[in-house]
Amino acid sequence: MVDDDESRAGTGSGAGARAGTRAGAPAGARAGGGGREGDRDPDRAHEQSGRWDDGLIARRAAERGAAVPEMPPGADDTQEPDTLPPLGGSYGGPLRARLDALHELVGLSRTRVESEALAEAGRVLDEAAARQRLSSRHTVIAIAGATGSGKSTLFNALAGVPVSETGLRRPTTSAPIALSWSEGAAGLLDRLAVPSRLRRRPLAGGAADTELQGLVLIDLPDHDSAVTAHRDQVDRVLGLVDAVIWVVDPEKYADAALHERYLRPLAGHAEVTFVVLNQIDRLGTEAADLVLDDLRRLLDEDGVALGEHGEPGATVLAVSALTGEGVPELREMVAGFVQERTAPERRLAADVDAAAARLRPAYLADGRSGLDERARDAFTDRLGVAVGAQAAGEAAERVWRRGAIRACGTPWLRLYRWYERIREHGSTDPHLATPVEDELTARQRVEQAVRVVADEASRGLPTPWAQAVREAAARGAEGLPEALDELTVTIGDAAARPPRPAWWPAAVLAQAVMTLLQIFGALWLVGQIVGVVEPGLLPPVLVMLGGIVGGPLVEWACEGAVKGPARRYGQEAERRLREAAAACGRARVLDPMAAELMRYREVREQYATVVGTRPSSRIVGGGRGGTGRLGATRTGVRGR
Amino acid sequence: MVTLDERPQLIDALSALRDRVAAVRLPLPLPDTPRARQTRAELLAQLDDYLVPRLKDPDAPLLAVVGGSTGAGKSTLVNSLVGRRVSESGVLRPTTRTPVLVCHPEDHHWFAGMRVLPQLTRVWLPQADDDHADDAPPPEENALRVETAASMPRGLALLDAPDIDSLVVENRLLAAELICAADIWVMVTTASRYADAVPWHLLRTAKEYDATLVTVLDRVPHQVIGEVSRQYEALLDKAGLGDVPRFTIPELPESADGGSGLLPDSAVAALRGWLAHRAEDPAARQQAADRTATGVIDSLDARLPELAGAVAAQYAASVRLGGAVEAAYGEQAKRVREQLGRGAVLAGDARTRWRAYPRDSTADELLDALAESLAALLHCAVSAAEERVRDAWRREPAADALGPARTGRDRDTAERIGVEVRRWRRVLEEIAEDEVRTVERPSAPRTAAPEADTVAVLLAAALLGGRRTRAAGERLAELLGAQAALRLRDKGGELVLSYVDRVLHAERDRRLAPLEALDVTPEPQAELIAALSVLQKEK
Repeated sequence: MVDDDESRAGTGSGAGARAGTRAGAPAGARAGGGGREGDRDPDRAHEQSGRWDDGLIARRAAERGAAVPEMPPGADDTQEPDTLPPLGGSYGGPLRARLDALHELVGLSRTRVESEALAEAGRVLDEAAARQRLSSRHTVIAIAGATGSGKSTLFNALAGVPVSETGLRRPTTSAPIALSWSEGAAGLLDRLAVPSRLRRRPLAGGAADTELQGLVLIDLPDHDSAVTAHRDQVDRVLGLVDAVIWVVDPEKYADAALHERYLRPLAGHAEVTFVVLNQIDRLGTEAADLVLDDLRRLLDEDGVALGEHGEPGATVLAVSALTGEGVPELREMVAGFVQERTAPERRLAADVDAAAARLRPAYLADGRSGLDERARDAFTDRLGVAVGAQAAGEAAERVWRRGAIRACGTPWLRLYRWYERIREHGSTDPHLATPVEDELTARQRVEQAVRVVADEASRGLPTPWAQAVREAAARGAEGLPEALDELTVTIGDAAARPPRPAWWPAAVLAQAVMTLLQIFGALWLVGQIVGVVEPGLLPPVLVMLGGIVGGPLVEWACEGAVKGPARRYGQEAERRLREAAAACGRARVLDPMAAELMRYREVREQYATVVGTRPSSRIVGGGRGGTGRLGATRTGVRGR
Repeated sequence: MVTLDERPQLIDALSALRDRVAAVRLPLPLPDTPRARQTRAELLAQLDDYLVPRLKDPDAPLLAVVGGSTGAGKSTLVNSLVGRRVSESGVLRPTTRTPVLVCHPEDHHWFAGMRVLPQLTRVWLPQADDDHADDAPPPEENALRVETAASMPRGLALLDAPDIDSLVVENRLLAAELICAADIWVMVTTASRYADAVPWHLLRTAKEYDATLVTVLDRVPHQVIGEVSRQYEALLDKAGLGDVPRFTIPELPESADGGSGLLPDSAVAALRGWLAHRAEDPAARQQAADRTATGVIDSLDARLPELAGAVAAQYAASVRLGGAVEAAYGEQAKRVREQLGRGAVLAGDARTRWRAYPRDSTADELLDALAESLAALLHCAVSAAEERVRDAWRREPAADALGPARTGRDRDTAERIGVEVRRWRRVLEEIAEDEVRTVERPSAPRTAAPEADTVAVLLAAALLGGRRTRAAGERLAELLGAQAALRLRDKGGELVLSYVDRVLHAERDRRLAPLEALDVTPEPQAELIAALSVLQKEK
């Protein structure tokens, strides 16, 4: 019967508070946070509304541009991260390292990653800086919950005095009210935009609560009433406080509005979350236990880690703000929590986790990335094909061999071959090509080679970086075919003017001698027939025979001798062209791509630092050193 | 004005409309698609579960659906109205997972069949005592429990729906669907919930459909009953729902403490009386049913165009996606033609071979090089087109339904192109052979008959080399005679272009195939609007 209680508390002792609460608080608070909700990018709002868009029932929730459930850390501040003071001043090493890494990350990837994803990280940095400038002796805890779950009653119970108005009128509280147990929290409250009218102190007796020194308690409006301005306020303040006490009641503890909008997205903030089941006086003991267990189960399904058995996580307990049952325990827990003074740091750590999770698609992707040797070789091979290295080598080899054989061939054979050519091709010069000296390189092959290598290198990269690698490749590919053309011309056509080997004149001489011998033998014979010379058949025949056999013999020997050098010559020509093309491609395409990949690797290492331990197992290949080190430091944060 | 006398034309029009709505498919994931799908499901639910059965059987019992947030005490209320525990209630949320329908035994036949809520399987439980409630079989998916109770007035059925704001999404959807089937909407809220956002959406929806609506303010602590109901009334007034009948039920020990008990008769008597009056008094009954039916039919005027708009958006997206593919491939086809004209195929290897031909490279080698080069040109064009498509589709959310885009590494593409190019080469060689066989020996008697592969390679070079291979054309003319050479070149040119087009079209069609498989057409939009105008005439 909480309504009953609230009414009694409200009318009984909260009369003074009421006047102040209702006066003009909503206007002030809305002025503080109103404009910001509007700037929210519509996409994300839509994404959120999508989840709620069950049609008939929840249709209007979406139309109103549903609340954004995640805590937008420091959403008020839009200052550039560059103007930040040195980070992590009062935070321990691990968090500072993570914040520094995040800063670095934002700087390194500003031109690559969409600014929207980075803006969130920038906000976390701003938030960290803003919170750090303010009192670290204080812990700001907000009490949030649905309408009528008894937030204000619990607030008053913790305060020991009726500070916040309670009542039946739903929704009751319409602007956040702050209650601070010690001085020096003004800056924190300014940041929350709590007007001074709504800043309270516990009664004089409150100073005696030494264990609560440093606590700043905020009573929030509801998050689920038909008054959406309340929800906006809740969303704004939740982004700025150090810890949250969620108040649920037996009737509403399973509301989709609470679990889907808040608890699930904020599951990472479990360490700075209390979930309090209020109004257990409405249930029997047994029923209360049942409900509490069910609540734990739901939280577990939401992914909220429960702080049981000394593990870090959300604290769940049952109280009755009305009868006071469980309130001392809650008070004690809050006191312990406040005295630890680690809430701001834990909250920021959770924010960094959340930002890292959101940035994850921009930095991590499943799959191995990078340019391996195989891809590089395949690329240079393709360039070699594009410039026609193999054919050029073969052509050089053949030209050389042909030249050698022709030089050393018997004249008769050459005559026969010439005749054959004429007969077959109808012209004395079978060389058909009019050499064209533009576009020597196969453009399409170069384009394809670049495309394939860029695809290969960007496979397994997150989209923005894949895009950057592709762009680097495309930039390099501009002018690559022209460079290859030029290269081919510079190196020259190996087939155009093959060198002559040293033994060549000797072979030509030998062939000439053989021909001369034939002629000499023939003349000798003719002379005998004519009778000019004295007869003697054998010597001239032998001389002629020697010439006839020797000619082909010389030619055959030359052919054998020329084979090896010709192949070497061709291979050398092919190698030169291929290597020149490869060097050109490496300098223009592979190196810029490798530089981009290197940059990505650097950023990913920073990201691993930001993330801490959690996704380390999924980082493949890169950032090995970073994650291991951070594994240790992250547990350090938890331990303290 | 719709009256519940039988109106065959109206029923026909509605049935036709229903078929049109059922035929709507929204396969592309556009930003608005989830909502459109929901609209379609709701329309179908309302037509199938409520409107058509109601108009067909005006005498069927009224269906009052009890809906509300978690923990509002819907089940307790239904149990109390019936006077027996028919629906389980309890402290753990959500309580009701299988909806329960309660009616008078003589009305049972109306609900046992598939007249209303045909997609829910009927489940009957043996008359269970309260003690045996735990023996109930595990809740079945999409089930509806039908219970009978003699204490129910005849001509009225109560349906206990799951929570409208349940954590279990299926429950939420089911609740919405059940509420769509109601003649009378009974909205239950509580003292601590009456300002919640979610129930108010429902109330506004009821107002929009002009449904017969009752609100019940449940679990109001005795002490504050006056103040809370005043507040609630003020809120209702503000929302324009001031004339809606309101019933207030105080929070009693029976409804708390595990919720095992029933509320005393006095607490629910007023509501029961009201409901019984709707069921028993013909005029009131007529009015209650009529109002909801009319409201739903009127609401179609706004909702169908919305659905039709979503269908049109689907078609537009499909056209956009297809257009991107056509544009990319069209551009590449143009580029390939331009490259062919410029002789881009004769570069690299092919160029070197050509320069060495015929002295240092054979016809076969040159033809190989040319074919390979042509295949590379085509593969490059296809890859470039795919890249363009990928870039264009990345900006289209609807492209998600079409599977991942191919990359330049696609081996199959190279394979298919290779096959086509080899086929082209074979055909080219055949043409050359035919030509050689039929050609009369040209004037030069000292030359031998030209060989087929020489002709083929010269032809290929002449076709693919652009003006770089003018010499090949001249040589061809020399070998075959000018006219035959010209004829051959024309034939070959057509062949090249037809094969190039064939390759590009095949690849384009492969890319378009998943889109075409979705079969998004503009007809459903027109049909919807047509069916709606028929309905409007019948109204």
